[in-house]
Amino acid sequence: MWGVTDQPSANLYIPMIAVVDEIIDETPDTKTFRLRFEDKDYAKSFSWEPGQFVEVTVFGAGEAPIGFASDPSEKALFELTIVARGKVTQAMHALEKGDRVGIRGPLGNCWPLEEVKGMDLIIVSGGCGLAPLRPAILHVLANRNDYGEFWLLYGARTPADRDFKYDLEAWAKRDDMHLLQTVDIGDETWKENVGVVTTLFDKVKVKAENAVALTCGPPIMIKFVTIELLKMGFSEDRIVTSLERYMKCGVGKCGHCCVNHVYICTEGPVFTYQQMQALPELRL
Amino acid sequence: MKPVLTTCGFCSCGCALYVEPADSRVVGLHPSENHPVSTGRLCIKGWNATPAVMGADRLKTPLIRKADSLEPASWDKAISFAASALKRILADSGPQSIGVIGSAKTTNEECYSLVKFARCVIGTPNIDGAHRFYDASLIHALLETTGTPASQIDVNSVAQAGSMLVVGANVMEQLAHIGSRIQDAAENGCRVVAADPRTSRIAPQTSLFLHPTPGTDLTWIRALLKTIIDRKLYVDHAPEIPGFEELVVSLDDVQAGRLEDACGIDPDAVGEAAQILASNPPLVVMFGLGVLQQFESSRIVKALADVAVLLGGSVMPLRGQNNAQGASDLGLSHDLLPGYRPLTDPGARKVCEILWDREPPTEPGMSAVDMILGCRSGAIKGLMIFGENLALSAPNTEETLSALDKVDFLAVSDLYLTETARLADVVFPACSFLEKDGTFTNIERRVQRVRKVFEPIGESKSDLDMIADLASALGRDISREPAKVMAEISADVPQYQGVSFKALDESWGQQWPLKGAAPKLTPVPAAAAESDREYPFRLIASRVNYHQQTGTMSARSTVLAREYPEAYAELNEGDAEKLGVRPWQPIRISSKSGALIRTLMLSASVPVGCVHVPHFFGGDSPNSLASYECDAVSGVPVYKACAVKVEAVR
Amino acid sequence: MKAGDALVLKKSDALMFFASLANEMRLVAPRHLFGGDVMFGVVESPKEIVWDYGHDIYPPKRFLLPHFEDMFRCENGKTARIENLADAPAQAIIGIRSCDVMAIRFQERFFASQIVDPYYKSRSDNTVLFSLVCNKPPKKECFCICCDAGPYLDSGFDVQLTDLGDRFLYEIGSEKGAKATEPGAYMLSEAGAPDFDVRRRIELQVDSLFETTAYIAKAINFISEDEVPSQVWEELGSMCFRCAACTNLCPVCTCYTVDDRPEADGSFTRCRSWDSCQYSGFTREASGHNPRPTFGARVQRRFYHKATYQYIMRDGKHGCVGCGRCVSACLTKLDLPSVIKRIRRAMHEYLEPQEKAAEV
Repeated sequence: MWGVTDQPSANLYIPMIAVVDEIIDETPDTKTFRLRFEDKDYAKSFSWEPGQFVEVTVFGAGEAPIGFASDPSEKALFELTIVARGKVTQAMHALEKGDRVGIRGPLGNCWPLEEVKGMDLIIVSGGCGLAPLRPAILHVLANRNDYGEFWLLYGARTPADRDFKYDLEAWAKRDDMHLLQTVDIGDETWKENVGVVTTLFDKVKVKAENAVALTCGPPIMIKFVTIELLKMGFSEDRIVTSLERYMKCGVGKCGHCCVNHVYICTEGPVFTYQQMQALPELRL
Repeated sequence: MKPVLTTCGFCSCGCALYVEPADSRVVGLHPSENHPVSTGRLCIKGWNATPAVMGADRLKTPLIRKADSLEPASWDKAISFAASALKRILADSGPQSIGVIGSAKTTNEECYSLVKFARCVIGTPNIDGAHRFYDASLIHALLETTGTPASQIDVNSVAQAGSMLVVGANVMEQLAHIGSRIQDAAENGCRVVAADPRTSRIAPQTSLFLHPTPGTDLTWIRALLKTIIDRKLYVDHAPEIPGFEELVVSLDDVQAGRLEDACGIDPDAVGEAAQILASNPPLVVMFGLGVLQQFESSRIVKALADVAVLLGGSVMPLRGQNNAQGASDLGLSHDLLPGYRPLTDPGARKVCEILWDREPPTEPGMSAVDMILGCRSGAIKGLMIFGENLALSAPNTEETLSALDKVDFLAVSDLYLTETARLADVVFPACSFLEKDGTFTNIERRVQRVRKVFEPIGESKSDLDMIADLASALGRDISREPAKVMAEISADVPQYQGVSFKALDESWGQQWPLKGAAPKLTPVPAAAAESDREYPFRLIASRVNYHQQTGTMSARSTVLAREYPEAYAELNEGDAEKLGVRPWQPIRISSKSGALIRTLMLSASVPVGCVHVPHFFGGDSPNSLASYECDAVSGVPVYKACAVKVEAVR
Repeated sequence: MKAGDALVLKKSDALMFFASLANEMRLVAPRHLFGGDVMFGVVESPKEIVWDYGHDIYPPKRFLLPHFEDMFRCENGKTARIENLADAPAQAIIGIRSCDVMAIRFQERFFASQIVDPYYKSRSDNTVLFSLVCNKPPKKECFCICCDAGPYLDSGFDVQLTDLGDRFLYEIGSEKGAKATEPGAYMLSEAGAPDFDVRRRIELQVDSLFETTAYIAKAINFISEDEVPSQVWEELGSMCFRCAACTNLCPVCTCYTVDDRPEADGSFTRCRSWDSCQYSGFTREASGHNPRPTFGARVQRRFYHKATYQYIMRDGKHGCVGCGRCVSACLTKLDLPSVIKRIRRAMHEYLEPQEKAAEV
């Protein structure tokens, strides 16, 4: 049910050099970096799927795993959306256009977009969890006829804390998808829902028998969203999420992201709820 | 390349460490199987020793102050700059206006040479060591009781104890090898009585865990002594031990009925403790910084020594630093000559004159704390600090920083640009224990070899080289060869007789012998600290496993720093609720001397009315909450049980 | 020379035989350090080899997975040129024991599974193991027979030596072993029935000489089914000193961390070094959240990785070879045999009352 690409990463431990082409400020603590490989031949052969990630080296600071956040039809010029939280991501935020970073990847498995063709989709995300889902969303919108009903639920702390506001504006105008947004704390301009993302569920009209849910966000959000989805009748193998763990090598060797006998970086980060329930350390 | 056998530079266990170099990299690091203390094991700091002392930001050149910044300079310039400053001060204000503070981490050869440099090259009586901020109170207190200002037993003997009294020490975290032997002992039926305001990790091994109110150890220990005497639990010949009568008289005022109010301990528990400790020989009495940095620390140490002597047991003071023992042995003290000989001892003075060509003073000089106060008042015009981050280890940080900033001339030697080094006029880049030869003396009085694994990084030098350079610039000769210095030490210092590099190369170190002096008992009159209503909480300052003192070294190991990423403080849940503070929120802890912000965590192991603040890496330290109030006898500041208040940060 | 050949090497020829290897590869063997300490290291001459050592705390795994390994060096971000520092010297590890051989095979399989680790692979390709059968357990902490990892192996070795008195039985177990034998082959003769007899006698009597046991099988069931009560794990965790010696010195453990070390010239070197799931920082995330927040959770993790069928399925065998190093190295009693004992006792304490309650 979950996809694994069989393209091996070109360089297991040694990063390829990419240049920062553009930096977009998403929120006060989040930036999107558009990156382009220096080696043009490598750029041509580089391919990835929604849900996968790369290990980004910020020279002098270290390496961090970040999921692809851009349009998957554009492989060579890709975007990473990064929250400044730890040593490496804070160093990343200090970079400027033209600076170089190292990239190892693509790593991990991907959202099961092939497997769910023909089905209804509900995508539920919170905060910076929208970023790893964005390639899936863009893929679905670009191949709209391959999928059934499409619901996108997004919750953030405040209106200003939403990522990809430019996309959300455009998506709100589309008539081939349902976009529901909510914030914890509104402001004068906010006309949409106020409350946690689960408060949006009573507006969702989806038949669980032919639907699949993709979700990504803070662990507490995933927990409550999963409860709602199960209530709606989703089976455990139709609820899919992307997990996060402290990572180092990204290729299933160093042991940091290992949960029970599964490496989040190679057998994940995309897992179904059913798979998670089989791992004692992950049971919600 | 073959691994080099050296001695770890973190704690006083003094484990043997094999370090394998390849060019300037570490490629191997492992313990020794046959070393009597390590026995094939190391603690978390030992396993991560090399990155801690070889961090990327090691000082590589001397620095000289130009206005607001420190500029790189050559060694020649730095030494002559320092020498000129010292000469000027000597001429204008005399040697007593210069102070020298040494380290509990440098080698024996460096400590001894620093004493010589201060007393005979500069001629100042103001020479003291970093142990003044930690455990110096054990020196006079034990000299007057057991006669040995050190542990009377080996680390391995701890595993054979029949009973133990462990007071004010986070031994399981800070001295892992001793903690391991305590676990072994407990498994073999040893009865452990621990005392600590906080429930620490020794709890599973204890038969009895007393939780006195912070700062009241003297009260319950006096009650313990009185119980031992009243119930005649002492060894048969105790009444004949000199000092027995005076001790009995000094305890006349102890009243069981008032005990619980005074210190939070039930007299029945004290009775139980007395019974356990008296009926399960051999007894070992241990105490750590909880005692050594407390109000009336010298008196508490004497009381604990009295317990051991009355019950025929041994004393093992739990010193922390790798060479705290050696530094004390070699006279890095303002009031003693090397080998713990008083300044007035004629034999010692004669040796001094012969070996050092200078008459030592008859009066003690300034202690390290007094030197800081002297910087503030102007009595000290020049201060030299070797290998101690005073800005964080001294009390009353705000005043200390201002005093160090104010003093006319400050010279600092260290591995990194510490908070202290930043205030200096000249900074000497020191090399780590991996880059020099010498010796350390561990907690069981074992003198062991420190062997050079790498060439000093950049232009850093051993403190011995620096001291020799400075002496030379002032017209005197101090040897820069560690083996030669040790030969001088073994001729001068009675405890180190027979120690030589050759003998050390053929053994697992040489332990200096116990003198076999008859123990004495000393009286223990009462004393109580005042409480302060404005500052209703009691500070419990501790140290965690991954972190050593000010954290200068341990912060540079990513593994150690990763273990302990957040500067936190702990409160009991009830207290947190009353104050209206929630976990993961910042709180302010303040005293008359200073304030700290910490992230709050809740813990049931912290008693009501107390706030637990573990030491963290750099930046600030719970020491800032302490004032310059010191133990009257030893001059060690009172860091423990400070009166503080705790509030939410809005 | 081929795998399956059984030969004899006279002890009087051994020095010359191993010296003949030294032309092609460096020799790694146990050698004397100080005061009775013996550890594996590079030896200049076979004369340094110590054949009858007891403890060797620092495992020979470090010659395939170094304690500190520089991976590559990168010039500063402006030019960003990368220089691969991988180094895989040809080496013979002589005098290694069956337990360590099994551990190395385990690691080889792990590092080659799914995505191949190039550093480990090139080192192991260039390493040939000359293992020595233990005629008796070298130290009281050994328990390899409980783990099916010794004292002798039927397969999985390159060259297996057995001390028969004045000679070694020399068994070739792999192509690598056969190739490494070629330079000194002229010193070897064919093994015969008397040689196999001596070996058989050693095999028959060695089992009864072990002092330490670890009845792992039942514990594997409990741990795999997550049946061990959490208070047992927490009790074990409360003893831990967090020194991580258990994982450092375990010849099977492979976890490592990666650091970028800045150099004086502005470049940086990416290096990896042994890490441990016993550290609390091993899983702590940048947000401060720690999925394994207690010491008990971390002890449970170590034993999950060592003794569950989930891992046996992945790795081909459970993660312990009974070398006994954790028994020597642990500052408390969290070595595998002691923990297995504790778990077995716990299951009597907790499961029997439950079963009785269920019956009632």
